[in-house]
Amino acid sequence: MDNHEKQFRLNVTRRHFLTKAGLGIGSAALGTMLFKDQLFGSSDVASVPLGIAQFAPKAKRIIYLFQNGAPSQLETFDYKPLLNKMHGEELPESIRKGQRLTGMTSNQESFPLVGSTFNFAQYGQSGAWVSELFPHMASIVDEMCIIKSMHTEAINHDPALTFFQTGAQQGNRPSMGAWMSYGLGSENANLPSFTVLLSRGRGNGQGVYSKLWTNGFLDSVHQGVVFSSGEDPVLYLKNPEGHDKESRRAMLDELSQFNAEAFNNFGDPEINTRIQQYEMSYRMQSAVPELTDLSKESDNTIKLYGPDCLVPGTYAANCLLARKLSESGVRFVQLYHQGWDTHGNLANDMRMQAEDVDRASAGLIKDLKQRGLLDETLVIWGGEFGRTNYCQGKIDADNYGRDHHPKCFSIWMAGGGVKPGTVYGETDEFGYNITKDPVSVNDFHATVLHLMGINHEQLTYKHLGRRYRLTDVAGNLVKGIIS
Amino acid sequence: MSKHLSIITNIILALQVLLLLCCFVDLSHLPTWIIALGKLHPLLLHLPISLIVLNIPLYFITQGSNKPYNSSLIFQTALVYTALLTTITAFAGLLLASNGEYDDQTLFLHKWLSVALAIITHIQIYVFQWLQKNQKALIGLLFITAILMIIGSHHGGTLTHGEDFLNFKSEDKITSQFPVIEDKTTVFEAAVSPIISAKCLSCHNDTKTKGGLNMSNFQSLQKGGKNGAIFTAGNPGASIIIERMLLDMDDKKHMPPRGKSQLTNEELMLFTKWIESGASDKTNYHSLTETDSLKILADQVRGQSTNVTVEQTYNFKSASASTIQELNSPFRRILPLSASSPALSIKFFLKEKFTLSMLEECKSIKEQVVEINLSGMPVDDKALPILTQFENLEKLNLNSTLVSGKNLDELVKLKNLKQLSLTGTTIDIKALNGLSKSSIKTIYLWNTKINETDVASLKKNIPTINWDLGYIPDKNEVLKLTPPKPLNTDQMIIGADENITLKHPLPGVIIKYTTDGSNPDSITGITYKAPVPSSQITRIIAIATRPGWISSETSDYTFFQKGYQVDSVRLINKPEEKYNKNGQTVLIDLKKGFPEILNLNWLGYKEKSFKTGFYFKDDNVKSRIVLSAADNTGAYVFPPTKIIVWGGDNPNKMKMIGSIRPEMPIRYRSNGVIPYIVPIEKGKYKYIEIEAINIQSLPSWHGGKGEKGWVFVDEVFFY
Repeated sequence: MDNHEKQFRLNVTRRHFLTKAGLGIGSAALGTMLFKDQLFGSSDVASVPLGIAQFAPKAKRIIYLFQNGAPSQLETFDYKPLLNKMHGEELPESIRKGQRLTGMTSNQESFPLVGSTFNFAQYGQSGAWVSELFPHMASIVDEMCIIKSMHTEAINHDPALTFFQTGAQQGNRPSMGAWMSYGLGSENANLPSFTVLLSRGRGNGQGVYSKLWTNGFLDSVHQGVVFSSGEDPVLYLKNPEGHDKESRRAMLDELSQFNAEAFNNFGDPEINTRIQQYEMSYRMQSAVPELTDLSKESDNTIKLYGPDCLVPGTYAANCLLARKLSESGVRFVQLYHQGWDTHGNLANDMRMQAEDVDRASAGLIKDLKQRGLLDETLVIWGGEFGRTNYCQGKIDADNYGRDHHPKCFSIWMAGGGVKPGTVYGETDEFGYNITKDPVSVNDFHATVLHLMGINHEQLTYKHLGRRYRLTDVAGNLVKGIIS
Repeated sequence: MSKHLSIITNIILALQVLLLLCCFVDLSHLPTWIIALGKLHPLLLHLPISLIVLNIPLYFITQGSNKPYNSSLIFQTALVYTALLTTITAFAGLLLASNGEYDDQTLFLHKWLSVALAIITHIQIYVFQWLQKNQKALIGLLFITAILMIIGSHHGGTLTHGEDFLNFKSEDKITSQFPVIEDKTTVFEAAVSPIISAKCLSCHNDTKTKGGLNMSNFQSLQKGGKNGAIFTAGNPGASIIIERMLLDMDDKKHMPPRGKSQLTNEELMLFTKWIESGASDKTNYHSLTETDSLKILADQVRGQSTNVTVEQTYNFKSASASTIQELNSPFRRILPLSASSPALSIKFFLKEKFTLSMLEECKSIKEQVVEINLSGMPVDDKALPILTQFENLEKLNLNSTLVSGKNLDELVKLKNLKQLSLTGTTIDIKALNGLSKSSIKTIYLWNTKINETDVASLKKNIPTINWDLGYIPDKNEVLKLTPPKPLNTDQMIIGADENITLKHPLPGVIIKYTTDGSNPDSITGITYKAPVPSSQITRIIAIATRPGWISSETSDYTFFQKGYQVDSVRLINKPEEKYNKNGQTVLIDLKKGFPEILNLNWLGYKEKSFKTGFYFKDDNVKSRIVLSAADNTGAYVFPPTKIIVWGGDNPNKMKMIGSIRPEMPIRYRSNGVIPYIVPIEKGKYKYIEIEAINIQSLPSWHGGKGEKGWVFVDEVFFY
């Protein structure tokens, strides 16, 4: 068998064969708009119907405000007055219990406990503790469900981040957003169903890489699309100079004929994907400018998110854009805000980072709420792990640092189906170990999928001879946070 | 043999050769209409079965000793048609099997037995023709054919009806009978035992103990079978029972065996969890907490789903998939709330594509629609009479539409409407007062003409509705503006005739600036009205001001006009390996670096100082140089402690022509790119050498005190 033929046979699956034989490419494109698998028979790669929620979802869309670099739980939501009392004293071994440390502090001779330099107070009806750094988030504490008992397996940024985003530390698995796009399909066919927005704070930063929004082994239509901060939010979307909409349309029509012919000859499913992507890009030429136009925002919106929201590329601008994308039916909007890696200079870095995110994060929740969208949108705020209760290096009079700590950290969620005004889970007085209701990253994924109307055990994709899930072989629903 | 029979016999021969060939190739690539002919197989197969059986009595009737001659023609005809119909049936069978839905092993037997049958019926014709005398052989052959037919068709029956079909024992329908839960009921009694009774007990009971295993009570279950215990309490992974249940269906050891009623996923998980929890028959059902997975599974298996999501049930039927599909387009998306829900939501996209008829067309699904989202669409009051026809509508989003509210009271007709979003519309209080008899629970009114006094009066008039005014800015809170920016921060090196444009995203902002290095404020600065003309080095410090807002921080940008052309560059001290991306050309490439991205457009020095020579071909008189250096105290990047400039005709013939000592920072400060201007003795230098010495010991306030600092240079200009 010559190579082309081999290639062809490898590409032909049953679904594909039926598509080709019975319905043709036109209906294939149509089919992806409406539940693919009810048209072509259940796909042999997944065990549930794709493109639609399995059961009534609590949330239709997700906005994930990822605080990249790992904000300290001890300066945000996990109030530990004992650390202030024992400031400078040694971390008891009975608490650490030989816990593995990163190479940055494992050689340290002593582990002096360090209390938060920022004051805490209780807010709202739930009485949750919030640090003084976040006055705006504190004002919406009754909308939030704070999980103080998150824990992870990874101890360094990249694996921890990759674990949070893809369910595995090593990379190459599909990102959460890609799974959502695969499982639930797109709401708005004129925009990608998974978009990514990046911003960088003034604190010590850690990189984010495109592997975090990869489609992994899923079809490449599920890949996250980055909206950048420059003149062109989506690169190469504008028509080149001298081309108008009509000539672009004519070009695309011709091109899709060529592609359709190529598909007939080779049967490679990626060709169909490409045809669809060209068509979507064409429609995006109208859809994106509607979204990214900031010139018509009212003064109230600017006050809600903070004046930074008019400066493209800032966290505030990304929050505003996230609201607009989400409102327009983008399933999963992933934000990353860099700069939370406070190994040293925590007192200054935390303050600057908080200034960047506090108003806009709270503003986003308020904005969704006042538009009647909060009940169908799930907002998640949090980093990849926590930070140690002891100081990295020596404690200065007015400054200190904290190393990575995977054993407990705090995140919060709001909106779509989570219990508002709750604090879930507890940590010990030292803020080192979890004492009640631990939530693993897999549990978190299982719960988020559940809120979106998907059973995490049933959304699978067969790859390399076995079925994969976002939670792979773990994950339990955290029922205590579901409303 | 008559002519018509011999023609058919030849056709049979041809068909059978083809049949044999077809047995070895994959037929699934044939056109679908041919494949579809395979569906005739279940019909056709009855014909050869009857004929093969009929042939036996027919033989005795027609072939007795004193039968008329033409009676053998009758029998011959029967044989020929038997062979023909058997062959055609076999063909249809092959086509039917090509979709691969059947069990391979049984199919294999059925296929080859049937092909053999077709061939043997064909042989019968010749045997009858040639061996008319040897009647015994023919009788034998007729019986063999019949037996072959029975075996072959039995396998065929198994394929369609399953292995258990020929089981004459009357068996109760296999569904687990769960006992009513009482105070003392254990988990084992409540959920585990009923599953065993339904799915295991038929082979593992007191009388029939396959594999030596009796599962009729807990004690014998614990004892296990001939391979010993079937479970290890607390360790499902090491338990044979779980292993057997998890084996592939095709595996001989899979339990329950193929053909028997299988365990559902929940039942399997329940078994696993039960063993994990200690496999006890004592655990009381009520002792488990609501969140215990064993309890959740037990309830699931018992059909009392504790699934935390309760689906709302609707009384109407689903719309047809084809109707929904017809209505769906990239600009109008209709989605069921979930896979099992008949309720639909409609959402419209792209305002330039919207027409009112797009809403009207949805009337064909008006019963099923519970959510309509028109937000941002150019839809006005004309939509309301259409919307009121969606009788089951619960959620209506009219945010940022052109709805004025004059006929908003029509929404009272919608008896199920619960949520109405009207933010960003021109709705007024009069329109809202018309909703007094409405079923609506919440109305969103942010960014409309409605104010707090209106809401107070609305609350009084219609207390059943929650009036949500959204975010109201705190009047006492004054916010700080963001600083103004130049039009293009990528282009800080400009031509001599280019002007500098400043901008601010917020309308109504006044930009104040200076070009003399002083800090502007709302009074002293020059008001920005038009692009600012540039000089050789233009440092613009600007702020944004607006009444009711705090003036912004200053923004500080330095623009360079292109200086005299450098002919070539000689790096005397090499930069550090990591910060040497573009070599010496980076210094004269007219590209500015960013103080945060130090591995691009920069040369970085730590062990040695920056020391570089520049050659010129021109005869211009040079009077100053500008060294552009990064300032990023957090990253140990400091200003040079001293910049020294030498000039002359060549490296061997030069003298010092200028130097400066830049001011050092006294605390961490914001990052920037700082131009250091060094005035030099005027002259037509052919060669200029510059040294910028990095700080040798960082100050005590810095995290790296005592260590060496860095110097980063991205560009050098000569004027």
